Amino acid sequence: MFRIACASAATLLLASLAGLMVSLVIGGWPALSTFGFSFLTSSVWNPVTDVYGAAGPISGTLITAFLSLIIALPLALGIALFLVEFCPPMLSRPIAMAVELLAGIPSIVYGMWGLFVFAPWFAQHIQLPLMMHAQDGSWLASLVAGVPNGANIFTASVILAVMILPYMAAVFRELFLTVPPHLREAAYGLGCTPYETVRAVLIPYVRRGMIGVIMLGLGRALGETMAVTFIIGNAHGFPHSLFASGSTLASTIANEFAEATGAMHGSALMALGLVLFCITFAVLGIARMLIGDQRA
Amino acid sequence: MNRASSPRARRRQAVSKIFSVACLGATMVAVIALALILWTLVTKGAAALSPGLFTQDQPAPGSVGGLRNAIVGSLIMCAIGMVIALVVGILAGTWLAEYGRGTKRASVVRFFNDVLLSAPSILVGLFIYELMVRPFHGFSGYAGAVALAFLATPIVVRTTEDILTLQPDALREAGMALGAGHGHVIRTVLWRAAGAGIVTGGLLGFARISGETAPLLFTSLGSQFVQADPSQPMASLPTTIFQFALSAFPDWQRLAWAGALLIAVAVLVANIAGRLLGNRSHRP
Amino acid sequence: MNSPQISGLEEDEATSITRPVDEALHLNVKNLDFFYGKTQALFGVDLPVERKKITALIGPSGCGKSTLLRTLNRMHELYPGQRAEGEVAFDGQDVLEDLAVADVRSRIGMVFQKPTPFPMSIYDNIAYGVRLHRRTSKAQMNEIVETSLTRAALWNEVKDKLHSSGLSLSGGQQQRLCVARAIAVEPEVLLLDEPASALDPVSTAKLEETLHVLADDITIVIVTHNLQQAARVSTHTGFMYLGRMIEFGPTNELFAAPRLRRTGNYITGRFG
Repeated sequence: MFRIACASAATLLLASLAGLMVSLVIGGWPALSTFGFSFLTSSVWNPVTDVYGAAGPISGTLITAFLSLIIALPLALGIALFLVEFCPPMLSRPIAMAVELLAGIPSIVYGMWGLFVFAPWFAQHIQLPLMMHAQDGSWLASLVAGVPNGANIFTASVILAVMILPYMAAVFRELFLTVPPHLREAAYGLGCTPYETVRAVLIPYVRRGMIGVIMLGLGRALGETMAVTFIIGNAHGFPHSLFASGSTLASTIANEFAEATGAMHGSALMALGLVLFCITFAVLGIARMLIGDQRA
Repeated sequence: MNRASSPRARRRQAVSKIFSVACLGATMVAVIALALILWTLVTKGAAALSPGLFTQDQPAPGSVGGLRNAIVGSLIMCAIGMVIALVVGILAGTWLAEYGRGTKRASVVRFFNDVLLSAPSILVGLFIYELMVRPFHGFSGYAGAVALAFLATPIVVRTTEDILTLQPDALREAGMALGAGHGHVIRTVLWRAAGAGIVTGGLLGFARISGETAPLLFTSLGSQFVQADPSQPMASLPTTIFQFALSAFPDWQRLAWAGALLIAVAVLVANIAGRLLGNRSHRP
Repeated sequence: MNSPQISGLEEDEATSITRPVDEALHLNVKNLDFFYGKTQALFGVDLPVERKKITALIGPSGCGKSTLLRTLNRMHELYPGQRAEGEVAFDGQDVLEDLAVADVRSRIGMVFQKPTPFPMSIYDNIAYGVRLHRRTSKAQMNEIVETSLTRAALWNEVKDKLHSSGLSLSGGQQQRLCVARAIAVEPEVLLLDEPASALDPVSTAKLEETLHVLADDITIVIVTHNLQQAARVSTHTGFMYLGRMIEFGPTNELFAAPRLRRTGNYITGRFG
């Protein structure tokens, strides 16, 4: 009896993920079958004429996720190495604890900070001066063009980076702590400097795990909804520059789903969800392949 | 020859020094950024804290009010969600650690659990919408609670499995050597031994869902009044914050900061409590 | 211990089993093979266990003595892929075939290498096993708890704190608590798997004293890697090596005059 209860709970887990997938496929099918392949390549998103293409949100999602990873990765590695290798032990534990706790702060808090504090500051002190000084027609001008309100692809990426930073730093630290002490001692014993020890021992030892962590961070950035919705500007279509408003898959769904009255509009949003699911599933699958099932 | 002062050794030392300073710099940048966020949250949130926050419902723009309806809704949905998550999560985690150990099926379940653990929460919202809102023609607190349960369950599964795996085999065998069945030993001995760890999983799960916004947007929707009946649409703190923060009214924005502070404090308390318990229970 | 005479130059395959009379046997293992998946761990092992006596199993690590012990109450069935073939006669029935596993384990109790108190009070630790098998009144249970703890020589030390956690006891006390828990179910046979290996010398002495008292009513089989312990507590000893029962006989004979060279080598410390 009890065994059956446990087994059915485990099966429920399987069924719920399968149900998630199936419901997205069914919900998104009308849109996918109507627009076919052009759903993925067209950047037209027009609820009035009921024509939908997902290229805008897809590109917005990929751009913000990768940008945020580029910002967060070196910082997270730096923090983890600092805590493991350079920090006085007395400080290391409290800082690590603080980093872990920050990883749990709800994303809506990061989003609000982005909306009320970071975006206005960014518009005033970075975006406007850059726009003033860029010559018309130069590459810089095209890179920074946009409405100077701070709600754009770049600020969204920064907020995302700040959000995934504590998570990645915490996991990197745990990863580096798995390196057996005798390996590090052996490196120091050969006369390696701390930097050489990091390069020769720490990083090679956890290489696969590191890539796994990067993928998990990427997965978080891809699927994050609230922090991005606050600050990306929610404009459809391709983002035209780094400082232009855009949208992501998740932010489009969050913004429009509750008000999507037309059947096709709702279905198109479901199809966006399916695309998002496929992307994150692929990323998680790769992470899993690299990290492996440690408990098998 | 003094090797320590050879140019090569000096260069190596210098590179290492630069590297360690860079690491320190990264830490400083991150700590400052995060401190700024917390500072904003605390000052803006604390400025808007008042007893009325807990005793009054959400106001019309321009008038005085609080967040009572949102707080009540969040508590009810989190409570229902956690009950579901604990029941399903503990049973499934027990299956993984005890019955499914080492089997192919267990590693599939574990992978699916990991996918659920990091699946974008907004997709869970879409799924529950299709599953519960559309068929029953209405947003409801139950739908919101199930969506939250979805997000907390994988965490409970994982911690339950981890903590049960840590229990020594001898404890299982000792129970069964007395003639008890496997299931009986699990319920009366192992769960008890793993108790603190399982509670930790529950707290971490609660910390995760109490700040979740995305899955509630189109499951529980929201309500301007205190609503104790979960079959009706229900307000929640995160969705109310979302709505208020994006509004153009300064009163609403102030309330949003107060709400964000409340949630952040609740999440921190749950996380810290979970960690303290977890540290104590990690000796097997 | 006298220096043993090492007699003969038998071949390495030789074995020597001195059987007690069959009527006196409580457990009788015949021709037992044991497999961990495809790896065979026991090869045609025989073990006669006399009623209300203490039988010791000795041998180097990995010789199969714990495996043999765990087969006697079918603990191996917890792990898929482990299987036993052969006969374990227990009062005329086969442990491996004829009896329900819960019955086997209530009649043949077990104490493990490391103390395994359950995470509950001392009282509940004892009551746990009893409640599995029968209903008792509160008064009966109190009596069972007291008797079991007394027989395990623990009563005087814990009678004032029966309701504090079993985990609050010292290692030696925890192990005697586990003995008390096992005998509270009133088993006919008690299996002990290196019960003293995690204990200090004083706790070990107390545990051995407990075993002597228990042997008045209960048949005991003990696995130990401590030869002095085997010599001190047991009436019969079996020496195992590489999954085979090499020599079995009365303890004083086996230690004083081992029949086989390998037994002699082991007990004089030349290998193992």
